[in-house]
Parts: sequence; C-alpha cells; structure tokens
Amino acid sequence: MGIHLPSLLPQMQELGQALYERSLQVSAMIPKAIKALHSTAELDHSNLQSKIKKAGNRWTGAIPTEETLNLTYPPPTVPQSLHVIGADGSQIYPDRHAAAFYYLINIGSIVVSHGSGKAPTIQQESQLFFELEDLYDEADHPVQNAYVNLRRDVAEMKTLTKIAESLAGEQTLAILDNSLLLWMALQTGGSTSRETDRTLQQYLKLLDRLRSSKTGLAGFIDRPRSVSVLALIHLAGLPDDQINQETLRLTPFRGLTDRAIFTKLLAPGHRSALFISASPLNRDFRTAGHEVHFFYLNTDADGAVVRVEIPIWVAQDPELLNRVHAGILKDCQTTGGFPYTLVRAHELAVIPPQERAALEDMLQRTLLGHGLRPTQSQKALTKQLTGQRKQHTL
Amino acid sequence: MPESPMMIGRVTRCSTRGFVGAMQISENALPVFGSLCQAEAQGGRSYVVGLVYDISITDDQFARQLAALEEVPQEQIADGQINRHVPVEFSALAVGFHNDGGFHQALPPQPPLTLASVFSMVSKDSVDFTSQLHFLQTILNAPQLPVDELLTTALRLSAQARPEEERERFLLQAGREVAHLLPQDLTRLENILRGLRA
Repeated sequence: MGIHLPSLLPQMQELGQALYERSLQVSAMIPKAIKALHSTAELDHSNLQSKIKKAGNRWTGAIPTEETLNLTYPPPTVPQSLHVIGADGSQIYPDRHAAAFYYLINIGSIVVSHGSGKAPTIQQESQLFFELEDLYDEADHPVQNAYVNLRRDVAEMKTLTKIAESLAGEQTLAILDNSLLLWMALQTGGSTSRETDRTLQQYLKLLDRLRSSKTGLAGFIDRPRSVSVLALIHLAGLPDDQINQETLRLTPFRGLTDRAIFTKLLAPGHRSALFISASPLNRDFRTAGHEVHFFYLNTDADGAVVRVEIPIWVAQDPELLNRVHAGILKDCQTTGGFPYTLVRAHELAVIPPQERAALEDMLQRTLLGHGLRPTQSQKALTKQLTGQRKQHTL
Repeated sequence: MPESPMMIGRVTRCSTRGFVGAMQISENALPVFGSLCQAEAQGGRSYVVGLVYDISITDDQFARQLAALEEVPQEQIADGQINRHVPVEFSALAVGFHNDGGFHQALPPQPPLTLASVFSMVSKDSVDFTSQLHFLQTILNAPQLPVDELLTTALRLSAQARPEEERERFLLQAGREVAHLLPQDLTRLENILRGLRA
C-alpha cells in the first residue's frame, strides 16, 4: 500500500491551519525587520564589526561590506555581446542491491551567446565510477551519497571552467545552480575527510582558473531560506554586553527569511548590498582568495527574489559585478525569474527513467559478455515485483 | 548525379496499414505532406511504401511558456528548433511495397519494425511506383484522413517528379482513374479535378 490518505486528512487540516497562522506572524514581523535593517545601516561600521567579533566563530550571519546595507542597486546595462554558461549535474547513487556496484555522474551544460542570434552550444558528459578507490573510503566503507554529490558539484564547476577558458578574452558569465560554497564538504562524514579535503582543494583550483580567465562567476540560489541578514540585524540590536550564544539564538525574527524582507525592499531588477557569508566553510575560500560574497536580486516583475553568490574577485571588480547582475537578469527574462541556461542545463543533465533502464540493460549485457552473471539482490527484485502494481478501478 | 534517398526518420509505431516515424531533423529536411516514403521491412527484403498524411511536432510545458511571450530572443528560438529533443512525428499510410519483383500496389505482407529507417522516395522510384494508379483506391478508402487533399497533393507531387512534357498526360490519366473510382460523387470528384488542374 502507498500513503493512507484518509488518515492524513486531520493532520492536513492542522498543517493548513499552522501555516496560515505562521504566515500571519511572519507578515507582522516584516515591517519590524525592515525597520531594524535601516537602524543597522545607521550604525557605525566599526561598532558593527566589533559586535560581529563578539559573536564569535559559530555565528553564521551576514558580514556587511563597504556598501550601505539598506541601499538597493538598479540593473546595470547588459553588455552587447555576452556568453552565459550554465551547468548542472545529476547522478545515479551507488546501490548495493543493483547488479553492479558503481555510480554515475551526468553533467549538462549550455552556452547561450546573447546578441549572436545563434543556437546555443550544448554538451552532455556522463562518467561511470567503478574502481575500488572511487567506491570505498580510506576506512574501507562504501562511499556515501553526500560524497557523490560532492564529486558532482566539482564536476559541474570543472565543466564551467573548461568552457569559460575556451571563451577567454570574451565577456563571459558562468552560472552554477547552487551555492558556491561546497556545502557537501561539510556533510560527507569524518571517514572521508582526507578525500573531501582533496576534492575541496580541486574545487578551489578551478576557481583560480576562472579568476584567471576573468569570468563573471555566480552561484544562483532560487527560493533561498537563508536568515543570515536577519541574524546580522538581530546582532546589531543587542547591547554589546549581552552578546552571547543564548541571546544570539533568541531572535525575534524566527520563521522569517531574508528573502521575505528583500521581496519588500527590492524593485524589479534591483539588487541588495553585498554581504559576506560567515559560514565556517568560507574560511577555506577566504584563505584561497575566493571568499564568497552574496547579494539578493529581484529577477522578475512578480517579485522573485533570489540569492546570488559571487567570489571576492567578482565582488571587488565593478565590471564583473555588473556583468553578473545584468547578465542574470537578461538570462531570466523569458523564464519567469530563473535563468534560461540553468533550465536547459538541468534538462540536459537529468536522467529520465527510460535512460536509466537502458543503462541498466547495457550493464547487464556487458556483464554477461564478460562471463559474469548479473544478479540483483532479492530485496531489489521483490521491489520490482511489487512496485508496478496496477490500480484497478471499476 | 543520381538523386539519393534521404533518411527522414525511424519508425516508432506501425501496422500493415501504415506507420508513424519520428526524428529530430531540421526544417529543410522535414517530410512533405502527400510525399512518398519507404520504410525497411522483413529484415531488408522489402520496403513498405508510405504516403505522408500528417506531420506533427510535439510540445512541452517549457515550449508553451516561451511561445506565450511577446518576444523570444533569437538564440532561444534557435535552441528550441535545433538543440532541444523535440522530435518531428510523421504518419504515413501504407499504399504499397517493394520487393525483388519491384513495386506492388497492395498492403504489405508485414509492417516495418520499430526503429526501421524511413527514407524519402527518389523521383525515379516515385515515377516507377505511380506508373500504376491502383493505390488511389487505398487512399480513398482510408478512414479519418484528409483524403481529397492527400490524393490531390500526392498526384501533383508525382506529376512534378516526371519530365515536364509527361506531366499533363499523367494528370489526365489520374483524373480519369479518380472519375472511375468516384462515379456516384460528382461534387467531390469536381473538387479533386479542380485541385489537379490548379
């Protein structure tokens, strides 16, 4: 049986009621948060930095830059000719119940040359990972899905880098459908830490190459749930002698997101001020010269506010910063506030069920061709038997 | 230089009465309504002759979203027409087959199989096939097709495949055959003959 829908009805009612009440609370918080943001903007910069220092290393709010934090910035002029590169990835995770233990990473990429009138260049790269060093960590444990995600994220960045280098000397914007910070590096578990560190270093070297090719690089995060600017304005409102882990946790803006306040503040096409991410992961990026900055951007007349992450060398170069700002807006024009290149990169990367079945079929024939008998686990076989149950209706 | 057949797709659905083919092809290579094509059957021992009666291009939500916009950048139009995996689907009515004995104007003994190659018919074969006109009966008997338009277009394309001095004679002969097949339906006959004269 699947979900027992009748038994969920009362809970569904409760869910609807809870979300309605929460939306009322959140709506009431927004004017207070905006007022607090304006008050924070009036604070002396050194005073704010001193509060951030007091908050300690565990505080993960937004660190202000030299830009006034409640100002908004209108859309710059789009360059006449601009190459926008998008890359996205998908994967088949290792499955111990399958006929063979392997995993696959599939990367789709596209280059749209705005102003050229030409069809974009598209590319798909698929790679199987089946060697022992790919499949087992240093402690001989099978690799976790989070590690596969990490390698996929690096493969996406590698694709962006290779394409950007092939366009060196031209105006290029590379967009990643993700945070620039390699969050998966924090989630891969202790047993693979050395491998994770090695992968993180590879990723940072790719950023070096993108910087050398003068590419406008951006991580695009749709519907961000981040609360880092709210954490900053909460911190700013605390008296210096009351800043501690307990008071930092007791934010009056619980349930609110940065996106909710910037949806009110940003006119279509405008961006927020630049901030720096205080994530612990950003320390590695800072050391390597790629400290991640971010801004919020209204990409659509309907108020779609997204978070855009950029490395410091884009943030501190007005030409690259404007290219990212204007280029993303240009690329979002026909697709409701989400970049066209990322829509297409996802379409190219995704592995549909029929292609996955064809891959499994190819795998089984290959194994048979080498005298091996492909067998799935009994669990996988019984799932196939029961998973295609037909719904009979009168 | 002799004309060579152009591959226009692969069979995706079929029966002895016709087949449906699909391929991602450019606008220039699209099959034409009323044109003849051939699909490999019986392991290459025969070809089913089909008459293209419908050409369709499938859509999806993304294409619909872009189509609804006032202005779509040229790069995105080119992407949709050239890169995206949107196949052109065409349907053909089986009007004959070809084997060692040449062309036959009858339903084929077996349909082509899935993914069989479909080729456009070169002028020489088209002239050869349409030297007999029994296939007109198959067209007139086809249910739920734009039969009159299909018949008129097929005959005019067959006439164009012939040398200029033979075209009129071919169309006159075809007109007589249609008159023979539609003796009770003068209005319809007149429409078809008018189409052949145009």
